[in-house]
Amino acid sequence: MKVFLDLMWFFKQEKRSYLTGIILLLFVALLQLVPPKVVGIFVDHMKDGTLTQSILIYWLVTLVIVALLMYGLRYYWRIMIFGSAVKLSRLLRNRLYGHFTKMSQAFYQRKRVGDLMAHATNDLNAIQQTAGSGVLTLVDSLATGGFVVIAMATTISWKLTLIALLPMPLMAILTSWYGSLLHKRFHKAQESFSELNDKTQESVSGIKVIKTFGQEKEELEAFTSKTNEVVKKNVSVVKVDALYDPTISVIAGISYFLSIVFGARFVIAGEMTIGELVSFTTYLSLLIWPMLAFGWLFNIVERGRASYDRISSILNEEIDIDNNKDALDNVPSGNITYSIESFSYPSTTAPVLKNIHFTLNKGETLGIVGKTGSGKTTLLKLLLREFDGEHIYFGGRALAGYQLDELRKAFGYVPQEHFLFSATIAENISFAKGICTIEEIYHAAKLAAIHEDIKVFTDGYETVVGERGVSLSGGQKQRISIARALILNPEVLLLDDSLSAVDAKTEETILSSLRKERAGKTTVITAHRLSAIQHANQILVLDEGQIIQRGTHEELMNQSGWYKNMYLRQQLEQLVEHGG
Amino acid sequence: MEQMPVINGKEQHKILVRLLTYTKPHKKAIIFAFSLLLLTTIGDIVAPILVGKFIDDYLTPRNLAFEPLLILGAIYISIQIMNFFLSYLHLYKFQEIALKIIQRLRIDSFAKVQSLGLKYFDKTPAGGIVSRVTNDTEAILDMFISVLVTFIQGSFLLIGIFIAMFILNVQLAAFCLFILPLLFLIMYIYRKYSSIFYQDLRERLSQLNAKLSESLQGMAIIQVFRQEKRLRSEFEEINEKHYMAGMRNIKIEGLLLRPAIDLVYVFALIVVLSFFGISSFDHPVEIGVVFIFVSYLDRFFEPVNNIMQRLSMFQQAIVAASRVFKLMDETELAPAQNETVQNIINEGEIEFNNVSFSYDGRRDVLKNISFKAKPGETVALVGHTGSGKSSIINLMMRFYEFGRGDIMIDGKSIKDYSKGELRKKMGLVLQDPFLFYGTINDNIKLHNHAMTDDEIRAAAEFVQANRFIENLNDQYQHLVVERGAAFSSGQR
Repeated sequence: MKVFLDLMWFFKQEKRSYLTGIILLLFVALLQLVPPKVVGIFVDHMKDGTLTQSILIYWLVTLVIVALLMYGLRYYWRIMIFGSAVKLSRLLRNRLYGHFTKMSQAFYQRKRVGDLMAHATNDLNAIQQTAGSGVLTLVDSLATGGFVVIAMATTISWKLTLIALLPMPLMAILTSWYGSLLHKRFHKAQESFSELNDKTQESVSGIKVIKTFGQEKEELEAFTSKTNEVVKKNVSVVKVDALYDPTISVIAGISYFLSIVFGARFVIAGEMTIGELVSFTTYLSLLIWPMLAFGWLFNIVERGRASYDRISSILNEEIDIDNNKDALDNVPSGNITYSIESFSYPSTTAPVLKNIHFTLNKGETLGIVGKTGSGKTTLLKLLLREFDGEHIYFGGRALAGYQLDELRKAFGYVPQEHFLFSATIAENISFAKGICTIEEIYHAAKLAAIHEDIKVFTDGYETVVGERGVSLSGGQKQRISIARALILNPEVLLLDDSLSAVDAKTEETILSSLRKERAGKTTVITAHRLSAIQHANQILVLDEGQIIQRGTHEELMNQSGWYKNMYLRQQLEQLVEHGG
Repeated sequence: MEQMPVINGKEQHKILVRLLTYTKPHKKAIIFAFSLLLLTTIGDIVAPILVGKFIDDYLTPRNLAFEPLLILGAIYISIQIMNFFLSYLHLYKFQEIALKIIQRLRIDSFAKVQSLGLKYFDKTPAGGIVSRVTNDTEAILDMFISVLVTFIQGSFLLIGIFIAMFILNVQLAAFCLFILPLLFLIMYIYRKYSSIFYQDLRERLSQLNAKLSESLQGMAIIQVFRQEKRLRSEFEEINEKHYMAGMRNIKIEGLLLRPAIDLVYVFALIVVLSFFGISSFDHPVEIGVVFIFVSYLDRFFEPVNNIMQRLSMFQQAIVAASRVFKLMDETELAPAQNETVQNIINEGEIEFNNVSFSYDGRRDVLKNISFKAKPGETVALVGHTGSGKSSIINLMMRFYEFGRGDIMIDGKSIKDYSKGELRKKMGLVLQDPFLFYGTINDNIKLHNHAMTDDEIRAAAEFVQANRFIENLNDQYQHLVVERGAAFSSGQR
């Protein structure tokens, strides 16, 4: 029940809806008592032959009024209570999304996207249940149960009430015991389902690998064994779950039996009438729901609490990359200086970068080369403050000295892994700019040498791309992400191995138009192909996170070392490519 | 956005029939469960009659003879206890059958997925395919367990109650029949509107999830380009629409579900009471019969409520089933091999003979390609992006079927080798690196369980990955996280 306390802030916020809903619920619980009572009155009149037309009409009209009232009230409390619960999930979902946008990349390294999605869907669902059905069940079961017992005890017979209620605690005990048994088994069933889901996900994403290695049969076998697991785990759930209904009906049956047997004795003894006995048994059937409801309530509340804890722990996750108090609110400009002793990613201990010291002058181009895993991408990510904590200066001021938003305004970034959104090509290119003219989009696309490609598409710039759109080649995606960065005409352009999927000729076209367009602006290029950085003012060669060579292309070619070796090798490849 | 298919009544019927064909292998078990259910229902119907008999024959005349009452009580209690076991068994049986049916459906659809050609995967987002195999089948499972079982159970009870009512009092039972058209009317209206509103809600939810999932995947881009605020407001807009759809559903449910059914219940009670009341003006009524009718009415509406509440689930399950079947009927199969021929690749001479190929059937990606690679030769394919390098590989790996021409291996058409033979003799490093969840070891082995640790190490050395792997704390047992996110792309 602690979750109700946790949610108190929301209940307070929606005080009026909840209070109205609860009051309506109480009225419904009271009105529910009327029909069984009327049945009893009828029975007694009929037995004694005292029923008159006016009595008949009086009670029937009463029933009609009660029925209509209940209908109306039942509708309105739903709007009040369930409506508020939907409001809560809307509110939390917005908060969660907002929070996601503020979390740094370190967070996304730790969490799986699938898990975060699950929190935003399943957990919010469970919380909505708690704030809706949970509140309903609590109030309604207490009210209905309470009113019915009071009505039975005060208007009919307290002795018979006690006797009839004797088996009821057993029902509560058994169902809650089943509940706890079910909890563990259900959890295991869920787990096996999510394993099945993961397996499927993997098979589908890796279909090319599977087909390459001819592993279809093995995949099917592995999948089948997962489905066996799912069936096994679910059958163990069913074994307990199937106990609920029979248990309830047998205990209700016994309680019924007791009230008829003892009720009959009371009737004979003249302590009550047959009509009252009939009312009594009808009341008894009204009691089953509150008993059951308590079992459900524990379930709902249990799940709600676990879910709310998970959501809270995400919402309480500190925003680790944020604005300092004295951060400047202007866009940085000037020289960039790296002064890194050692940097390692939050979840690991091995340093990715060591002893990185250099200065990139404003307006110059920096080339970074090196083997995969040598730390090139990390170097760029630090500049963008995707990760924090190292000494990098921009315009003489530490990166953290600028407001995050202002800092990032200075950059146009083309990541190594091109990611496009499910939107039109035009929208993807203008992603960072929001509103802009079609000419600006064309211009950026031309600079990125993608304009001609786009024109060929049937829908041109209106072609929808991304997961649900047409599939583009790797090189096309890369060039669209280049255009996306270029449209900003940023102070500093970062190209992270962004020309890997385009051919040498296109690369040259893009590079030369960049040199023209970006004269006087800073550019950082990381690359595998040395031709991409040949013209840079400064070239760094990284190996295992350290700078092993630095200089201009000419300087490096005069030294023996990785750069020269690599350059000659790639020249040779180039030669082969052009057929010698 | 995934469109919700609009399914008309006839198609619904077809889908349901097709689903029911999956019950065939379980015929015996189903008949067994049904017999149990029938017995339980009879017990449920007889119990109130016993009480009614007691009231009329013994209580009203104040004749509490011990022996007959003992027998009556004993019968009542034994029915209760028998029903406990019977209903436990049938509930258990039904659910077990449902689970097995869904398992079959899942295996069938997964097998189908494995048999599809890459063309299908190009045009279908991975998330969609996964949903077909897992979530959609889960929705069908829910239908089997809660909708069909509730429906059958409910119908049994309703029919039983009506039979008992007709035996007890034909006239009143006939009056009570008015309940049925009323219930059907409510059900009809509810289904009509809820199918619209409910589908709307589902669609909003899937939009919401699509937006969220895409944002999470592209968060780095969103942040670097400072679009957080814009995306937040876009998300809030979708969320708002989802909220409105949710409210509409609450309203329709409030108007037509439980509150409406309870209204009908009181009206039915009014009918029964006025019938007995009016007839009591002429002659005395049997109180026991009144009791039986009242308690039948009490039980009558619970299954109705249950069925109504699960109607939307039914709708959803049919939609889910239509999607699963659509996948199963997919004709975009992987290129077929002539498996009957036992050809073996000895030399490995590859020849392209005037091969033309198109992905979309309109624009040729490869035009009349002819070349020959002799055994032992290394052939390099160069050219700018989009020139067709990968396409040649794709054809050689039989990922796609080529249109014209032929590919020959050792002088025989590539189609005349079994799939196994081709896979065994051809290796490929893919352009898009993809790692499976598991240890590095698992990823190198990939179901090839016979591979020894030494062979794994050798393979790693070959691609020069051994250095970085050995730098990791747990080396080859290192756990690869989602899509290898923690490794740089070259390491994969």
